[in-house]
Amino acid sequence: MKQFAYTIQDPLGIHARPAGLLTKEAKKYASLCTITKNGVTVKAGQLMKLMSLGVKQGDTVTVTAEGEDEDTAIAGLKAFFEANL
Amino acid sequence: MKDKIFGVLQRVGRSFMLSIALLPVAGLLLGIGSSFTNATMLEAYGLTGIIYPGSFLYTVLDIMNQCGSAVFNNLALLFAMGVAIGMAKKEKEVAALSGAIAYLVMNTAISAMINAAGGVEAMAPNSTTSTLGITTLQMGVFGGIIVGLGVAALHNRFYKIRLPQVLSFFGGTRFVPIISTAVYLVVGIAMFYVWPVVQSGISKLGTLVVNSGYAGTWIYGIIERALIPFGLHHVFYMPFWQTALGGSAVIDGVVVQGAQNIFFAELASKSTEVFSVSATRFMSGKFPFMIFGLVGASLAMYRCARPEKRKIVGGLLLSAALTSMLTGITEPLEFTFLFVAPVMYVVHCVYAGLSYMLMHILNVGVGMTFSGGIIDLTLFGILQGNEKTHWIWIVVVGIVYFFLYYFTFSLMIRKMNLKTPGREDDDQETKLYTRSDFKSKTGIGPDGSSPAKTSSDPVSAMILQGLGGKKNLSDVDCCATRLRVTVIDSDKVSDQILKASGASGVIHKGNGIQVIYGPQVAVIKSNLVDFMETPEADNLGDAPIAAPAPAAAAEPAKTGKCAVLGAHMSGTVVPLAEVADEAFASGAMGEGVAIEPGEGKLYAPADGVIETVFETKHAVAMTTDEGVELLMHIGIDTVKLGGKYFEAHVAAEQKVQKGDLLISFDKKAIQAEGYPLTTPMIVCNTDDYSAVQVLASGAVKPGADLLEVQG
Repeated sequence: MKQFAYTIQDPLGIHARPAGLLTKEAKKYASLCTITKNGVTVKAGQLMKLMSLGVKQGDTVTVTAEGEDEDTAIAGLKAFFEANL
Repeated sequence: MKDKIFGVLQRVGRSFMLSIALLPVAGLLLGIGSSFTNATMLEAYGLTGIIYPGSFLYTVLDIMNQCGSAVFNNLALLFAMGVAIGMAKKEKEVAALSGAIAYLVMNTAISAMINAAGGVEAMAPNSTTSTLGITTLQMGVFGGIIVGLGVAALHNRFYKIRLPQVLSFFGGTRFVPIISTAVYLVVGIAMFYVWPVVQSGISKLGTLVVNSGYAGTWIYGIIERALIPFGLHHVFYMPFWQTALGGSAVIDGVVVQGAQNIFFAELASKSTEVFSVSATRFMSGKFPFMIFGLVGASLAMYRCARPEKRKIVGGLLLSAALTSMLTGITEPLEFTFLFVAPVMYVVHCVYAGLSYMLMHILNVGVGMTFSGGIIDLTLFGILQGNEKTHWIWIVVVGIVYFFLYYFTFSLMIRKMNLKTPGREDDDQETKLYTRSDFKSKTGIGPDGSSPAKTSSDPVSAMILQGLGGKKNLSDVDCCATRLRVTVIDSDKVSDQILKASGASGVIHKGNGIQVIYGPQVAVIKSNLVDFMETPEADNLGDAPIAAPAPAAAAEPAKTGKCAVLGAHMSGTVVPLAEVADEAFASGAMGEGVAIEPGEGKLYAPADGVIETVFETKHAVAMTTDEGVELLMHIGIDTVKLGGKYFEAHVAAEQKVQKGDLLISFDKKAIQAEGYPLTTPMIVCNTDDYSAVQVLASGAVKPGADLLEVQG
């Protein structure tokens, strides 16, 4: 399992649109990708759950990937977070 | 002008509260003390062996009796100080000191005038009394109120006065007691001439009231109840309870004026055989409808609530009904129907008036400290014995009243389809729901995903926000059940937010705002005042404190079965691919359809549960009962508005039915800011379905078949 922590920079947090894009990104990989905030973990591919996390600017989330392509997945997600959030 | 008078009366009314709040405790001392030192009662309960004059217990009880009496006997002084404190704007402690001094000075001046005129014998009979050892005119609690109001006026005028250099020591607040002494010396002299005239006026009115008989009692009862919504009932009943308007009596050789004073003098007296009904007619009527009638009303509202709402409504009504029964504080209950069904309140007033009248007719002589709950009934009715009070009639009439209220209210609610709690449609549901959400928020944070704007004191933050922010407040106070506030701009007050903070109602009168919370209001007020001192209070943004995000708990079963979704707004259907936002148009977030709205309202497309209402209120996510996960996103990029122009009518975890109003928004204002309003409805779990198909095109009405998901 690979993981990294990331503090949200985007002033609007993970609102609907970036959540949608993140879902799409996560679905590209075979690995199970999850986002954890304050002890609550959701699958990154589930838009509904992701949005209900209510992630705001300044919140720190933990992103994990587990599976056969976890190395590429975690790199892809990290790039996504840095570019979009 | 009317608003201004209301504002002043409101402040006078609440300035009474500090003194009135003491009465229950004084009444308790007096009630217990006098009951158990009364020879008849001791014999009746066979306690003569333990409690007899000279025994330790007897002495203790007698002390309680006399100390309780001391409060009632010196109520005028308490009012002189209490009203001065209540009405003073700042440096209230100086106003209190000045009030006490002015009261002593005024009475001493009157006393000297009486002496000069030839002593008590030269005055009209029963017009004099002894207060704090000073022989003076019988002014009752009015004497104290006159002092309190005048001193407060002097105080507010002079507490910042600057005197010439040589006299500067006596400037500022020190000047207030000085000027009060001087003014009330003169007022005392004037009162010697003026008050006897007022006195004879009051006693003539009092005779009129006494002669008004049962009908008079009935009208008194109706007016007393009818003034509750305005918070002016204290101002109304006080003259009856505390002055000759409510009658005079000679008890143990002392002249006592005012209904409550007579009752408590009789209570303290060992020679009372039966309590004077001519006094208790202004009080006893409260018991039947407070202990029984309103409970019947609550049961009616509970039974009439929709079955799925009963649990929430039941809790709300139960606590309000218990408060009314035990303490006689009825506002929490009365306000649950006053606002939604004023006609029920009218009926309530008439019944309450009848209750007073029945108690009068049936010779019930039970007094009270300030309201008619079980506590007062026990102390001043049951313990005193049925021979003296005829309290049994309260129970008899009360039981009838229970059914009377229950059946009348049930009938009215059903026939007139009144929206009592648990019967509201769509947007008003917020009230109960937000309150329960609120509890879960203040209790344990649901899952740590609480909004970023976590406040150190969310309730106060919410109240402050509902009142239009700290800068909008000119004055904050409270009475028994309401937060009483004077605001600068009453348009900034949001009833919705205030109700979400736990208020059962909000009354606007010009710039005077009353927010009804119930008996816990004193704590709410203190917290609010404390919170206003924190920097956080200055930084409250426009965005309301959002409801907590729901727990990312158990996943709903995804059956992926077929379902049809209704249109989420009225307007024109827009294919998703044509939405001017790549994230939606590309289908990245899921398949769906959009509507170009015709009016600023978003409705539930199906029955289901709200998952998330975005803090910025521009988007809602819900799961339908069939398991379709939907995201409805009002406009493009509207997240940047930060919630402005949007109003949410639902909260996370709330159950909704198809067609329920979810969000309303100001269409024109948002367009004026340059944001498109195209509103996509996305099936987030598109992967669970074989196909998502748009069923309509062109103009649609809310609820019309719009989107089909196929399993």
